Amino acid sequence: MSSVILTGVRKQFGSIEVIKGIDLTIEDKELVVFVGPSGCGKSTLLRMIAGLEDVDYGSIEIAGQDVTERAPAARGVAMVFQNYALYPHMSAYDNLAYGLRRAKVASTEVDRRVRDAARLLQITDLLDRLPKAMSGGQRQRVAIGRAIVRKPEVFLFDEPLSNLDASLRVEMRSQIARLHRELQTTMIFVTHDQVEAMTLADRIIVLKGGRIEQVGTPRDIYHHPANLFVAGFIGSPTMNLFPAKVISQDGRQVALHLDSGPRVVVSGVAGSAAAGTNVTLGLRPEKLQVARAVDGVDKIQGEVTLAEHLGGETILHLSGPHGPMIVKCDEDFDQMPGLKVDVTLDMTGANLFDAEGQAIC
Amino acid sequence: MTTDLIRRRTAPRHLVSSIIYHCVMLLFAAIFLLPFYWMVISAFKSNIEIFSQPIAWFPDPIRWENVSALFARTDFPFLRQFANSVFYAGAVAFGTCFSCALAAYSFACLRWRGRNLVFAFTICALLIPPIVTFLPTYIGWSRLGLNGTYWPLILPSFFGDAFYIFMLRQFFLSVPRELMDAARLDGASEFRIWWQIVLPQVRVALVIVALFAIVYTWNEFFGPLIYLKTREDFPLSVGLFTFRSQRAVEWSISMMGATFTAVPMVVLFLFTQRFFQQGLATKGLK
Ligand SMILES: Nc1ncnc2c1ncn2[C@@H]1O[C@H](COP(=O)(O)OP(=O)(O)OP(=O)(O)O)[C@@H](O)[C@H]1O
Ligand SMILES: [Mg+2]
Repeated sequence: MSSVILTGVRKQFGSIEVIKGIDLTIEDKELVVFVGPSGCGKSTLLRMIAGLEDVDYGSIEIAGQDVTERAPAARGVAMVFQNYALYPHMSAYDNLAYGLRRAKVASTEVDRRVRDAARLLQITDLLDRLPKAMSGGQRQRVAIGRAIVRKPEVFLFDEPLSNLDASLRVEMRSQIARLHRELQTTMIFVTHDQVEAMTLADRIIVLKGGRIEQVGTPRDIYHHPANLFVAGFIGSPTMNLFPAKVISQDGRQVALHLDSGPRVVVSGVAGSAAAGTNVTLGLRPEKLQVARAVDGVDKIQGEVTLAEHLGGETILHLSGPHGPMIVKCDEDFDQMPGLKVDVTLDMTGANLFDAEGQAIC
Repeated sequence: MTTDLIRRRTAPRHLVSSIIYHCVMLLFAAIFLLPFYWMVISAFKSNIEIFSQPIAWFPDPIRWENVSALFARTDFPFLRQFANSVFYAGAVAFGTCFSCALAAYSFACLRWRGRNLVFAFTICALLIPPIVTFLPTYIGWSRLGLNGTYWPLILPSFFGDAFYIFMLRQFFLSVPRELMDAARLDGASEFRIWWQIVLPQVRVALVIVALFAIVYTWNEFFGPLIYLKTREDFPLSVGLFTFRSQRAVEWSISMMGATFTAVPMVVLFLFTQRFFQQGLATKGLK
């Protein structure tokens, strides 16, 4: 049982409150990912769980024990840092062994555990080398090895892959996923890479300004963002947002008048939307279609500003009557900048947000 | 094409400026080396030859017996004083490195209330001329009955020095915070982090501080002169001086002593030159 429970956790640096009250339960063996814009407090929260920052208010519980006042080494956590933080003057072997030696583990046991971890991470050949004689990916594996040998209850990763190049990142990502399966331990992972978050996470925690905006599975967060912030933050390219007015509500169906022209009907609305109120309609780029001229259907006019050909698909950036729109379409649809196009909307899976930006659908 | 390259390589403007540059540097080197050279040749002359006209730029004959004469003097216990100097400089260097590295670590790497204020006070200590505090300090040591010993000279170095603390702090600031965090997670105590993780990253700076302290202490004159009483206790700096004031005429033995005093510092510097270049070039006083 190595769950992590945060209760009313707050943190101030000087007079600035950086973490503004976090309540969160992370289940045993779960891999959760903290995402959020730069400066929202992801690292700070992680460091508080590790015990590297004091907790001003609230409490942290790991594996059923209150660890709020405990030293970092006594919490059963291990952390992997963005810049690896390997001890530069020690070989990989000593880097891995350092924590075990501090814990007074017998030297034969140290050796066994270091070699086991090295085998798991395929770094056995590197054990005699100093960090400066390794590549970035190798250093990162050693850093992960240093966390593994201590057999922690909880692994903490602070953007561990952001210093690696794209292909290595994909490889390390799958390694971490594999580790999570094999070690069966709780992991908390900080990133601002969408893809990392979506592919690795059992649950994603979206943070903003020291508060939790939404907690949910990747599919949940992608398809049902709790508010406009999450809608805009998760998903790449970002969700299209259309300002609109409510015409009428009929049970779970709401008829809207988009400010840019068309009238549409959103189904599956949970909340209530009085006629005349301002709302925002959110549609993922794949729910928009481009046609040269469609008659009879409600449509929005746009002008192509940029076409990104990604091979399998094309991302069209359009300027519409109410700001930019993004459309994902097939490759064979070649569009030139400056071309005028009509956009039709597919309303399945549409998101609707009230005037405060909270999801009502 | 090839002629072009050759011509460019020996561009006359560069050649001329390079010649001028080297001439100027050689001239300055000669000016700085002259007293040193004078000291060494005088050590191998007799007292009369030293002041002979015209000036003899090379001793003839080379009086090697001056070396044994120096070590044979009973009124100038050279070896004893040399050992005193080594002990004095070594102890001060050790104390300075130890105390300043601890203080600098605290100022650079630990977070505590009032840290910046205390650091500001430390820097202010640089502004107080040591001579101002000399008399009260002297009286203090006398009351403790420790005058005539090395305690007043060595013990203060174990309590830090503002300049070295400032300098080391700059180096400590360049050590990534995550290294210490990682060690904390690995269960190392603060003292162990300082000793095993952080100090190895600032080795160069420590060597530089040790060298500064050694050279400074080796030449330190006023402190030992005031606090020490007997010839057997003097370090070389004071020993040379008192010998000369007893026997103003024996220039060649004085010069021989001075040469033997200066040579260890030169050798030390030659061996550690690369640290100076590394330290000042890479991080240093930025
Ligand atoms: N030691 C500190 N002293 C003062 N302010 C700090 C300190 N550490 C962090 N902060 C502030 O706390 C806020 C959150 O920082 P944090 O490093 O947790 O952000 P983050 O979400 O990890 O951002 P990033 O994605 O850029 O890593 C920032 O505004 C930062 O300026
Ligand atoms: Mg961060």
